[in-house]
Amino acid sequence: MMNKNTKLKGYLVNTVALAVLLMAFLILNANFKTPFYSVVFIPSLWQISYLIILAASLNLVLGFLGQLSLGHCGFMAIGAYTAALLSLYFERAGIFTDKKAPVFIVSILVSLLAGGLLAAIVGIIVGIPALRLKGDYLAIITLGFGMIICNVINNLPFAGMEGLSKGSAAASLYKTGLGFGNTLKTKYAWVAIVITILCLAAMFMFIRSRFGRAIESIRDDEIAASASGINVSLYKVGTFVYSAFFAGIAGGLFACCNSSLSTASFAFTNGSILNSTFIVVMVVVGGMGSLTGSMLSAVLMFLLNYVIKNVIKASGMPLFVQNLFKYPMLVYAIVLIIVIMFKPKGILGTREFSLVNTIEYIKGKLGKKAVKEGGSK
Amino acid sequence: MSGSLQTLSDFLQCLIVGLRLGSVYALVALGYTMVYGIIRLINFAHGDFIMVGGYTLFFTIPAMLAVNDKLPIWLAVIVAIAVCALVGVTVELVAYRPVRKKGTNMTALITAIAMSLFLENLAQAIPAIGPNYKIMRRMFSNKAVLNFLNISLDWTTLLTILIGASVMIGLQLFVKKTKLGRAMRAVSEDKQASVLVGINVNRTIIITFAIGSGLAAVAALMYFAQYSTIMTTSGTMLGLKAFVAAVLGGIGIIPGAMLGGLVIGLVESFTTGYISSSLADAFVFLILIIVLIIKPAGILGKNVGEKV
Amino acid sequence: MKKTIAMLLAASMVCPLAACGGAKKAPEGGEIKIGTISPNTGAMAVYGEAMVNAYDMAAAEINADGGINGKKVVLVKKDDQMDPTESLNAFNALVAEGVDVVLGAVSSGCTAAITDAANEEEVLLLTPTSTADSITTKDDYVFRTCYADSFQGKIAAKYAKDLGCKEVGVLYCAADTYSKGLYDSFANACKDYGINVVAAESAATMETIEFSNQWAAIKAKGVGFVFAPFYYYTVGPYVVPQARTAGYTGIIMGADGYDSANNYISQGSDLSAWNNVMFTNHYDPADKNPVVKKFVTNYKTKYNDTPNALAALAYDGLYMIKKAMEKAGAEDAKSVRDALADTSTVYKGVTGTFTLDKSGTPVKGATVVEYYYDKANNKVATKLRDVVKKLD
Repeated sequence: MMNKNTKLKGYLVNTVALAVLLMAFLILNANFKTPFYSVVFIPSLWQISYLIILAASLNLVLGFLGQLSLGHCGFMAIGAYTAALLSLYFERAGIFTDKKAPVFIVSILVSLLAGGLLAAIVGIIVGIPALRLKGDYLAIITLGFGMIICNVINNLPFAGMEGLSKGSAAASLYKTGLGFGNTLKTKYAWVAIVITILCLAAMFMFIRSRFGRAIESIRDDEIAASASGINVSLYKVGTFVYSAFFAGIAGGLFACCNSSLSTASFAFTNGSILNSTFIVVMVVVGGMGSLTGSMLSAVLMFLLNYVIKNVIKASGMPLFVQNLFKYPMLVYAIVLIIVIMFKPKGILGTREFSLVNTIEYIKGKLGKKAVKEGGSK
Repeated sequence: MSGSLQTLSDFLQCLIVGLRLGSVYALVALGYTMVYGIIRLINFAHGDFIMVGGYTLFFTIPAMLAVNDKLPIWLAVIVAIAVCALVGVTVELVAYRPVRKKGTNMTALITAIAMSLFLENLAQAIPAIGPNYKIMRRMFSNKAVLNFLNISLDWTTLLTILIGASVMIGLQLFVKKTKLGRAMRAVSEDKQASVLVGINVNRTIIITFAIGSGLAAVAALMYFAQYSTIMTTSGTMLGLKAFVAAVLGGIGIIPGAMLGGLVIGLVESFTTGYISSSLADAFVFLILIIVLIIKPAGILGKNVGEKV
Repeated sequence: MKKTIAMLLAASMVCPLAACGGAKKAPEGGEIKIGTISPNTGAMAVYGEAMVNAYDMAAAEINADGGINGKKVVLVKKDDQMDPTESLNAFNALVAEGVDVVLGAVSSGCTAAITDAANEEEVLLLTPTSTADSITTKDDYVFRTCYADSFQGKIAAKYAKDLGCKEVGVLYCAADTYSKGLYDSFANACKDYGINVVAAESAATMETIEFSNQWAAIKAKGVGFVFAPFYYYTVGPYVVPQARTAGYTGIIMGADGYDSANNYISQGSDLSAWNNVMFTNHYDPADKNPVVKKFVTNYKTKYNDTPNALAALAYDGLYMIKKAMEKAGAEDAKSVRDALADTSTVYKGVTGTFTLDKSGTPVKGATVVEYYYDKANNKVATKLRDVVKKLD
């Protein structure tokens, strides 16, 4: 009974906190109009939101289920291309003509959902054979699937330049129907935030459910789990598919903030931090088995990358530092190694940051005196 | 798109190309599997050790010839082996060991990714290397050893296969017969237990790293003798392919790495030649996946049931 | 404790982020800030290096000569590592710094990611090297220094037609924007000329090193002309030699990526393989034109290297901006845009004398350069084969 009360209280506190934050943001969004805000802050917010969803969704597989997947960006690619092509179709079909009209929001949501669903379907196709294997063998298979997905998208005859009609996707999908500029990104920033919150809530509910406890037991001991009546393969594939769904949604958000798409963005490695390798890095740095950790590390990794590349001006510093900062990824690698050395279990480990507990903690500190005086609770 | 190859000579062509690629993959995979088999770390930096070896060769060969131009070029590989072994051991001491002590397998994997990024960018920051492609000078004669139906087997490919085979046999003997080799196998099976029987685990791992990285230099010699362009990211894809080869053959099984490498090279060649050149990557991985589903522990791996 | 550290880390990263903001303002105190975006590090850094060198050289020349409208040119260089997301971030960061004119990005994929943003933020974007057709399609803030892919592809197709080829082959990379874009435009032009593309072979990536099987398949079709758009670092050591080894003896035609491929030939390979290899380029370093000569000599003295086409285009790009700013008598994006949009202005650059069309793409000729085996000096040399001004 007590437990249920705490849980209810937790939901309430979190909902209130989120609502307050969202309101604050909306007020900010309506009044705050400096160029910095719309040109730097908002685009960063969009990128952070899809990175958070991506990292958190991989954490389901990697941290909670304990299976290494090296092809997570493949699902993101599916989501991105589906959402982009579908929205382009909507635009061509005249369902929305103005990107500011309310019907456009419906198109965005439908496109995102479709992206997520298709990614989930591919997740089933990939998951059933792949999850029969374990460890490094699974890593290779997922890596392979990630590459196959990009390779196949590149050769699709209908995903090209003009979308749905001409050429293959390799020649870049130059104009996506979504493709927000900075104004639209500012206007629809709430969409990114709400979708991120919804996805995270769904993932939290997942790991707190019976299902979540089952997959954690599979991670800790597969044989024991199966002995206690858990259908291991079903739960494994289920988690994989659930995770792929959110990766697809993240892909849809990616399509929203880019006016062009190319599969190079979803490769195993590339020049940016958006690739299957770095998503794994984000999950581990945040803490395997901590969704809030993934959120935190997605934000930190993005900021680190962004700040090294675009903000820091090393001109005042010694020549050695200047030369170092000419190679942003070198600095990035060094910071990464240092973080891993000092926090080998990730920033949050397996713990979750919880508002209720923080409040309790603060209360506890403040109330120490009162407790001393008034005796036990 | 393809599928236009029908004659015997086309088949031979595919075979030769497959061997050319496969022999290099096999050689890389042999070094890879040494480290991989023992500490179970997907060493993303292994490909970059090959890059280090390549650049060492690139710079030592002219220096060596300046001293005495009668020396055979391949002698430079000794310097490369030393440099690679040094880099490998340093990476192990500075990055992998502290992390292995505190963290999990996954933390070690991330360190490997960071290390790979670090080495690639560090190399690029060195002015003598820079971002540009460099062309390695020719190391072996490009004469054909065998000529049949206008298709020729070149000397470098043959040499790569021979070196690969001898390295394989050497490693196998070393691991099976010597004391150190037995220590390595013990460490790979159970670290705690090997401490109990008096094995110095850290020393064993360092030696493994030295051998594995040294082999990267040998692989670099043969790779760049065959494909002469060198770049700071030259090793990335190669390292990945070696990882795939090592797993395909069976983790930690030395002949498996050799076999895995050759199989991947041949599959790659025959898919481009006979199935589709634009979807070749997809087919290579598809075949890989099918093989792994049929043989979940790799081609030469034994399926061991989990102990309860 | 751990949370405190995390918070501090986050705070320390956000602070400089916030500090970089600021109102967009016109350059003052006799300085013009011009932004550049190129891959200065990472796998494609070689492109960035040449272009940054050329930008630096052009800026130094301009400043030594009194600057633009009496103001000093200051370059703000950003690194995108050839990733579209990073290009957009770099572009937005430049806008936040108050830059009005941006030169970049290098690859078409990256430039495509920022063209919309340029129009929306009303910042002038001049890309020196992005050849994809869709980069400049309408009258807006986006211009370029190079010609478009469809022009290059068409020239190749026309060569095939003039040589009387009825059937041709293509070797390209299906996963690459540049290669695939050229393949598409070549194939379309072939259709118009009534030429059949009978063999279309692809490689997995632009970094592929083994093309023997593809060449064997092309040879089996018996074609005498193959269009193979790849970059110099695979063309030199692999594409061309492997074609000849596989027994293909016909013409190999490439595009601007073939520039300087003859510096990347493996030692001891058969140099006669390089006969019958030609490509379209932006300029010819051996050109006797004084503008070209001056550029090549200065670049060689400064960087000890022959400038490639990218360097020449980057150099011209900055000079185009100079000319437009001087013509407008102002340096803000709108004035420069209007000056560049004037289709009557003639630009005299290293890569030719040209005007811009309505969309912002130069109307200029392409040099067709041919490689040949120079027996006397035992090396592969280039000769100018043709300058194609216009195509019908």
